[in-house]
Amino acid sequence: MLLLKSLAKVIDNSGALVVEVINVMGGMRVASLGDEVVCVVKKARAATSDGAANAVSKLKKGDVARALVVRAAQRVRRLDGTFVKFDDNAVVMLSKQGAPLGNRVLGVVALEARQKRWAKIASLAPKMV
Amino acid sequence: MFVRNDAKQFRFCRSKCHKNFKLKRNPRKVKWTKAFRMAAGKEMTVDASLDIEKRRNIPVRYDREVMATTIKAMKRIQEIKAKRERVFMKKRLQGKKAQEKSEALKLVRKNVELIKTPALKQKLLEKKIISVQKMDDVEMA
Repeated sequence: MLLLKSLAKVIDNSGALVVEVINVMGGMRVASLGDEVVCVVKKARAATSDGAANAVSKLKKGDVARALVVRAAQRVRRLDGTFVKFDDNAVVMLSKQGAPLGNRVLGVVALEARQKRWAKIASLAPKMV
Repeated sequence: MFVRNDAKQFRFCRSKCHKNFKLKRNPRKVKWTKAFRMAAGKEMTVDASLDIEKRRNIPVRYDREVMATTIKAMKRIQEIKAKRERVFMKKRLQGKKAQEKSEALKLVRKNVELIKTPALKQKLLEKKIISVQKMDDVEMA
């Protein structure tokens, strides 16, 4: 359950580390697994002089970008009646078109992210639960 | 279901279990858990009746006959299992009463002075003296 001001971990290599939710897309008040949010980067990977390492750091502190919620600490009910909850709140950063900004996803991703729109993220994820 | 960040999934039977998990307790060391009882040999773990009930993940074509016999077998297996468990428990607790009695007797002999019934006290004291004498004899020998 992510809402205004919630902090979430970023689990891709877009450059952002921690983001704060500033809006939930789709007219919802709270975002859950598989929902899109707008967020602001609170903490980003330090920019290094090394060009190669910096190549994938697309986001820096203060940037506003969209993100997909892939893990939520609040329990979420599934259609089969089971509940699932994770260790933390985590997101994957998206471009305005909805494509992932990073090219890697590190860590578990909820099955709710396996939708047609998020096929790219689902394929990047090392494990879906 | 709780999913840890390393993708390991946990299903807790009750919130008590989840809370204890958060306290980082080892279920094998907590006495009330099934894991402890299994590990400490307090419950039947090796038995054919336990192997029959298993998640097999093999699709079986529906057959009315098979279904009927399965349901029949389930009941029968349950009966056998309960019976075996009873036997196991009986075996495990064998000698418990005798042990308790001997321990209680030991306690009485140790603290004879506290017994209030004079006749009984006298009897026990005599016994004690005799046993002590015997011990002395043994030592002398």
